[in-house]
Amino acid sequence: MGAEPVVELRDVVKVFHGHLGFGRFVAVDGLGFEVRRGEVFGLLGPNGAGKTTTLKLLLGLLRPDSGSIRVLGALPGEPASLARIGFLPEQPYFYDYLTGEEFLDFYGRLHGMSAGERSRRVAETLERVGLRDRARVALRKFSKGMVQRLGLAQAILHDPELVILDEPMSGLDPVGRREVRDLILDLRARGRSVLFSSHILQDAEVLCDRVAIAVRGRLRHLGTLDDMLSRAPRWFEVQVAGPVPAEWTGERRSAQGELTLIRVPDVEALGRLLAAVPGDGGRVVSVWPRRESLEDLFLREVGVSTEAAGDRR
Amino acid sequence: MSTARTAAVPGWLPAISAIARNTFREAVRDRVLYLMLAFALLMILASRFLAMLTVGSETKIIKDLGLSAISVFGLLTAVFVGVSLVFKEIDKRTIYTLLANPVRRWQFVTGKYAGLLSVLTLNAVVMFAVLTVVLWTYGESPAPLVPAVALILVELSIVAAIAILLSSYTNPMLAALGTVAAYVAGHLSWSFELLARRIPEGSGRGLVRVLSWLVPNLDRLDLKALAVHGVPIPAGQVGYAVLYGLGYAIAVLVLACVVFERREFRA
Amino acid sequence: MSRIATCAVLAAGLACAAVGLAGLRAAEPSPGSAELLYLPNGRHLRLASSGHASLAADAVYLWAIQYYSNYERSDRHQYVEHVFGTVIPELDPRFVDAYALGGMILAIEARDLDAALRVFDRGIRENPADWLLPYTAAWECYFAGRPALASRYLDEAVAKPGAPSLIARNRAGMVERAGDPRAAWRLWKELSEDPASDETTRAVARGRIADLQQRIDLEDLRAAIASYRAAHGRNPRALDVLVADGLLPAIPAAPDGTGYRYEPDTGEVGAGATRVLGDR
Repeated sequence: MGAEPVVELRDVVKVFHGHLGFGRFVAVDGLGFEVRRGEVFGLLGPNGAGKTTTLKLLLGLLRPDSGSIRVLGALPGEPASLARIGFLPEQPYFYDYLTGEEFLDFYGRLHGMSAGERSRRVAETLERVGLRDRARVALRKFSKGMVQRLGLAQAILHDPELVILDEPMSGLDPVGRREVRDLILDLRARGRSVLFSSHILQDAEVLCDRVAIAVRGRLRHLGTLDDMLSRAPRWFEVQVAGPVPAEWTGERRSAQGELTLIRVPDVEALGRLLAAVPGDGGRVVSVWPRRESLEDLFLREVGVSTEAAGDRR
Repeated sequence: MSTARTAAVPGWLPAISAIARNTFREAVRDRVLYLMLAFALLMILASRFLAMLTVGSETKIIKDLGLSAISVFGLLTAVFVGVSLVFKEIDKRTIYTLLANPVRRWQFVTGKYAGLLSVLTLNAVVMFAVLTVVLWTYGESPAPLVPAVALILVELSIVAAIAILLSSYTNPMLAALGTVAAYVAGHLSWSFELLARRIPEGSGRGLVRVLSWLVPNLDRLDLKALAVHGVPIPAGQVGYAVLYGLGYAIAVLVLACVVFERREFRA
Repeated sequence: MSRIATCAVLAAGLACAAVGLAGLRAAEPSPGSAELLYLPNGRHLRLASSGHASLAADAVYLWAIQYYSNYERSDRHQYVEHVFGTVIPELDPRFVDAYALGGMILAIEARDLDAALRVFDRGIRENPADWLLPYTAAWECYFAGRPALASRYLDEAVAKPGAPSLIARNRAGMVERAGDPRAAWRLWKELSEDPASDETTRAVARGRIADLQQRIDLEDLRAAIASYRAAHGRNPRALDVLVADGLLPAIPAAPDGTGYRYEPDTGEVGAGATRVLGDR
């Protein structure tokens, strides 16, 4: 990974005003982070966190009220830098009167591609997103997954250095999500940088080198997942068959027939439980070490207690 | 896939023509357009039967109806397609992917306009062709009507520019109202001139005079009555009219580009 | 787009528009009527039709035709002059058919020649190059029993560009019917001598000249005989007497060469031959 950042935000503020000046909504409040070249960066947060607004600020679709933004070393919205960026918006919608091929051809023209190069790249990209045999179908007949894939195709058509994706997995079935995941990994393998926003945390866990968690326009966490989560507490979940030692009955988490799941706060307590169970006539079936997941961290930041989160396996 | 980078910013002409072609395709694949065109053609053909009811010159009513159909349906297309052009992109969010590409905003607006203009021209040509055929069945030549049709197109190009300007700024309903208001005011521009002559000297008169120049003088682009009666039209008049329409449309379009440049996209 | 470029293009656009509009205004200082603020009906329609005045004129015309075809309507002629003489001309002053039809309805059905002529006159005023309207007006005058007026309209019609030669013949004939054979004879003579006249006109002219000549001669003769009778109390013995007495410059030679017959007893003159050979 290179050291120079492809995206740089510092103290960015964006406020939306209601009609005729009434009402004021702070979408982004002093946000700042960097995306390094060649990394996959996740911008996470609940709805209303300002993720989409941030991405639009990066593309020049919105202008910040204060703060500085640089993308690929230039100001947002400069055509020279936009030429090296690919973007997929949230819930994309495309001209339904075009076919997939015509659609990509149009975007190819907007990137100044010559006719020969256009047809080559359009074919390659359709192949890459798995839409080659639907190239002549009108977009109005596309399913949601197909639209998403076409949107990705449009984003990578011109082989950009930086790919920005807003909720790329939204509305996709597991197969679709797998495909998008593979695409992102493939992009990283080729040295491209990817910035995507999501509220689906499992994907971030698998894909991202670094993440930022934003809540209500403010940055809460920034760093690699390991960094963030290693500080998190660990505990154990022990599955016991048969009677549960008295000390632990309060820590029962669930029961299923003769199996009981018990939450153990640390290693030392684990040792005591493992020793106690056979004494009461029970049997330890399994031991699961747990650490706080990204979801736990996330929910904690958003203000929901993790007690409920710990109930689930 | 090759790793060669294609970081090219398109030239302004390819960008504008790509968007124009797209807009044209959108309009041409829209069923509403065909309905309107079919209706206009029906009117022209029906005029053939109306002609039987009249006393005297039969072709007068055909020519009148034909030219007015071209004008009215052109106007409807310019307004209703024009105001939704920019709005639809914003509403359906196709504008985001579009503007995330290295296309400048003024190229976008100009491309939309060029596309709209080409649709209007195609409509007018088709309708005029049908009118020509109907006139041929009476053994008459459509040639005297050509300048009138040309000026109808000039009028439409002004109306289309206004529609796009308003569409860059507000929702289709208001934009349509505004454009129709501009059209009606444009046909009453002679009243501004007259008023200016009757008001006594002063700031009021100056204001009305300024208004009479600002408002699109559409009634001066109306050669329909002259063309139908076969009165020869001086080439200079057509030339001035084209110059006026071109200049006015360009000025309005520049305004539209400026408005659009400053626009932010919230949703 | 840079500021400079934007301003430059905007300025160029405005400049073109200004030049164009100035040119259009120079060519036609004021489109539409000059008396805006009095607004009788036709002008309301013109305002409402918003650039489609000619089509609106057609619509009114078609409606009027259907309306006036309904013969059962009572007082159907009440508004003919208004519709054909004011409303339609306001919308389309060059709509010649409308003036013609309106005038004819008024003259033939409403038997109001003056109203008809008002409509015709307006049409003639608005269409100075048109010969059809004065021509139609002339015939309505004739049928209404005003040949002198008719011949004045024909005078107008004859002078219009592209007027068919028929009109000149009609005019001469009309003058004759108006009871002025001498003027008619002069007109026919002019026509026969005019190198621009076609063969038909010349042929008709020769015939008319001969007839008129005869009529004029007979008139002159009768007038002379009557003076003689008044002076002498009896008919002259022969036509030479009239010449001798200075009542006639000479005995007119009949065009067919047979001379005029004179009956001294009754004092009547007539054409010489009662039977002729060939066509004369």
